[in-house]
Amino acid sequence: MKLRYLLAFPLAAALTAPAVAHHSFAMFDNTRSVTLHGKVTAYQWTNPHSYLEMDVDDAKGSAKHYVMEMTSPNMLHRGGWSSRTVKPGDTVTAVMSPLRDGQLGGLLLELTLPNGTKMLPGVPNAARYKITS
Amino acid sequence: MRGSAIASGALLIGAWLAAVAATPAAHPDFSGTWERYPPPGGAKADPRYAPTPIPDPPLKPEFKVKWDIDQKKLQQRIEEGQPAGDNYVHCIPDGMPAMMMGMFPMEIMQRPEQINITQEAFNQVRRIYMNQKLPKWDEVDPSFYGASVGHWEGQTLVVETTGIKDYVTFRWAPHSESMKITERMHLLAPDYLKDEVTVEDDHFAKPWTWAWTFHRMKDYKLQEYVCEDNREYVSADGSQHLKIGK
Repeated sequence: MKLRYLLAFPLAAALTAPAVAHHSFAMFDNTRSVTLHGKVTAYQWTNPHSYLEMDVDDAKGSAKHYVMEMTSPNMLHRGGWSSRTVKPGDTVTAVMSPLRDGQLGGLLLELTLPNGTKMLPGVPNAARYKITS
Repeated sequence: MRGSAIASGALLIGAWLAAVAATPAAHPDFSGTWERYPPPGGAKADPRYAPTPIPDPPLKPEFKVKWDIDQKKLQQRIEEGQPAGDNYVHCIPDGMPAMMMGMFPMEIMQRPEQINITQEAFNQVRRIYMNQKLPKWDEVDPSFYGASVGHWEGQTLVVETTGIKDYVTFRWAPHSESMKITERMHLLAPDYLKDEVTVEDDHFAKPWTWAWTFHRMKDYKLQEYVCEDNREYVSADGSQHLKIGK
C-alpha cells in the first residue's frame, strides 16, 4: 500500500496559533482516537470548516452515521486537498478524535483514500491529538 | 513682465511634467500577496524586519478595570480550551484594525487613486481612497472597516481610518465611533512591508501603538472565504458543541 503523506506546507502550520485562539478544540477528546472504516456519504467544502460524513457498519451490522470536522477549505487547499479529494460512495478509513459529548462525530486526524493515499487534514497542533486506535 | 509670466508658466509646466514622469517611480508598489511576518507559531523573526509587539491598550482607569476582569475571564477560557469569544466563533469578520492580523494571507491592489486590501479570512476588504479628506467620524455610518483615506509621504503610505462600530474591537479594547487609526506603511526591503499603527480614542490615556510586518508571498492567489455553515455552537453553560444532525 502506498502511503503518501501530504503535509500541509509551513504556512498551514504557521497558522496554528490564531486558529487555536479563534476556535475551540475542547469539544474533542484528544486523549484517544477512533478509527472508522466505511463509506463517505458527504464531503462538504465550506467555511468556516469542511466536513466529512460517513456511514460505518457497527459490530451488529447496522450503519451508524458519523460527522467529522476538518479545517477550512483554504487551509486544506494549501495542504494538498481539494473539493474532489473524496466523494460520496468512496470507501475510506478515517481516524478521528471523538466528541466528548458522546455524539457520533469528531475531529478528522487522518484519512486513507480508496487508492491507499493517506491524507493529513492539517489539524492545528496535531501532535496534541493522541492516536490510540 | 509678460516674458517672465510665460517663463514661469513654462517652468510650472516643466515641473508638472517632471512630477508626472516621476510619479510611477516615486511611490513603492505594495501590490501583491502578503503574509504576516514572522509567521505565527514560534518562528524567529530577523531583527531587521521584526514587528513591534502590541502592548495592552492604554485604557483610562475607568475602562481598565473592566478590561482587566474580562482578560482574566478570557485567559481562564483559553486555559479551559473554550472559545475566546471573538467574531470568528460567530462567523463574523474581524473589522479594523483586527483584519490586518487576520489569520490568512492578504492581498494589496494599488492604483494611484485607490488602494484595496483584502484579507483571505472572510473575504474582508478595506478600501483606501487616496488624496481625499478624512471624513469626520459622525459624517459616516459606522462600519466594520470604517472610512479610510491615504496619501504618500515620500516612500511611506499614510492611511487614516475612522467610523468603526464601537462593538468592532481589537484585543477587546472598548472604544467610541470616533476612534481614529493612523497607519504608516513602508517597505523595509522589497519583500518586507511594515505597518506602524497608532490608535487614538477617548477611552485611551495615550495613543495605542504597535507595528506589524508582512512578507511578500510568491505566486499565491487568495482563495474565497464565505462563512456559510457554522455547525459549532456554544451552549448555555459555555461549552462548545458540534451540530451533528441536519
